[in-house]
Amino acid sequence: MDHTPNSKLPADLGAPPFVGVWQRRALVIGGVASVLAVALGFVGQFQDGLGWGHLLRAWTLGTVVVWGFAVGGLALLMLQYCSGGRWGLVLRRPLEAMSSTLPLVFIYWLAMAVFGRHLYLWAKYTSIESTAAALSAGLITEFQQHCLDFKRAMLNPVAYVVVSLVCFAIWFLFAQRLSKLSLVRDGQSPEAVPNWTAKFENIGGPGLVLYALTMTAAAIYWVMSMDVTWASAVYGLLFLVGQGYSVLALGIVTVVVLSRAEPFKTLLRQSEQHDLGKLAFAFVMLNVYLAFSQFLIVWSGNLPDETGWYLDRTRGGWGAVMTLDFVFHWLVPFVLLLSRNLKRNKKRLAAVCLWMIFARCWDMFWLIEPNFPDAARNLHLSWGILEYIAVPVALISFWAAYYSKQLMARPLVAINDPLLSEILEAEDGAV
Amino acid sequence: MMREEIYGLLAEFDTPEELVRAARQAYSDGWRRMDCYTPYPVEEAIEAIGVRGNTVPLLTLVGGLLGGTVMFALEEWISTVAYPLNIAGRPLNSWPAFVVPAFEFTILWAGLSAAIGMIALNGLPALYHPLFNAPNFRAGASVDKFSLCLEAYDPKFDAVEARTYLESFKPISVVEVER
Repeated sequence: MDHTPNSKLPADLGAPPFVGVWQRRALVIGGVASVLAVALGFVGQFQDGLGWGHLLRAWTLGTVVVWGFAVGGLALLMLQYCSGGRWGLVLRRPLEAMSSTLPLVFIYWLAMAVFGRHLYLWAKYTSIESTAAALSAGLITEFQQHCLDFKRAMLNPVAYVVVSLVCFAIWFLFAQRLSKLSLVRDGQSPEAVPNWTAKFENIGGPGLVLYALTMTAAAIYWVMSMDVTWASAVYGLLFLVGQGYSVLALGIVTVVVLSRAEPFKTLLRQSEQHDLGKLAFAFVMLNVYLAFSQFLIVWSGNLPDETGWYLDRTRGGWGAVMTLDFVFHWLVPFVLLLSRNLKRNKKRLAAVCLWMIFARCWDMFWLIEPNFPDAARNLHLSWGILEYIAVPVALISFWAAYYSKQLMARPLVAINDPLLSEILEAEDGAV
Repeated sequence: MMREEIYGLLAEFDTPEELVRAARQAYSDGWRRMDCYTPYPVEEAIEAIGVRGNTVPLLTLVGGLLGGTVMFALEEWISTVAYPLNIAGRPLNSWPAFVVPAFEFTILWAGLSAAIGMIALNGLPALYHPLFNAPNFRAGASVDKFSLCLEAYDPKFDAVEARTYLESFKPISVVEVER
């Protein structure tokens, strides 16, 4: 089929000026939220001695969410090179911008590594003697002591740092290479396209496998190991799908807002927007499917060493958070994204996607906070818990400013791709 | 030919663009009883003749909800009323275990409702359709021609004027369709 473009490629493919405005706004919001976070830390510390602890936990939440944007963006970038499709071209540069934010994620992560002993029991009790002492002092249970001693080969500070650094190195290598080659490709002639397609597939395919492995390792070390007693085989996959969920949501928000001005006013057609909406819907479904599978298997097994993790998250008020998690994370986006008209409506689709990013944060709250003895099976309001609003807002805002900077750094669409003439075609097939 | 004896006038076009243009014009000129026939789905043609939305999504939703409810209720009834069994000390009303079959039934009934509803709303199976009386229809509309039929039911319909009207769109041919 002959693809003669009906619309012209806009002359200026750079980011519109309002991206710079977002960047400044994000920095201001981040600054205000940081001040609030510090203030809450002091107040919380005064109230129950947990202010700084809550700040660190909320910091982990923010880090994990933006890490999802960065490496999830990298994964989707590699995926669209392998799968092809016009939606991939529309999202390509935003995804490159997301994956270029890894340095900031690394800085965020450094705080988790430095203050690890306040997040992870295994970083606090690093020897058999220390666990025995902690047990006799009543600080940990016998089950925790057993797990700490048994899992020490894997869960120890050195392994944590080494594994994390290796993961960051791999992600950084792939993100750098893909971003760089993408610009080189734009400078070349259309005859080179078949070579480039093969090249990107050859990077993306193995890259996706490596991503799945490294991301699983990082999710286990950073989040799952906050509870040393519990393990789930589907944990990595849950994060993988969750990252796809949040990256698609952020990608849709990005392209919809960018479409207020050229070049995306021309580039974002309704059919690609609809495709992205459908893809997001699939992730909404897959996400709840995996989360429920994990729950059902633990529930059916009914084993004392597994159910504790869920009891920590359902008893003492946490049941309400879990129910709301189900409603926020699945029910609301599922019901709304069922509608074809909504997926074709820019404003509404973007609103649902913003909601999905919020729901992801809510889910992380449910995942992280009950790991700690003061909160497990005991949801209670304190000044410290408000850190879960202040710190993630600050971290995500600073990240968003950095993301905006990356968006402004290069043209918003890759031009040396035959798909480009397809998205420039008039949508109707009839004028 | 008398109005009662013909089903309508069929204009054949070479491209979907021409068909959609003609259909849009006819709709805005007040024609309502008309239909487009194309070898593959042309969504713009559907919108051009004023079809806005359809009932298949609603049928699918109702089917899905019914399927889920029926299966869940069946499981509840079996496990708590008809044949209560103590399985590993779990409560009789063990809803987490009921979710999976209920979910599968939701999908199954939604899918069946969508497929059967689509066929039924299309008026299928239809053993007779007057359009097949038109010369070239079998060879055209299912291969490489895009046709617009103005039906005789339309109050605006007049065999002579409608023909002139259709010819103004420069189709390949305009033929009368016998009832």
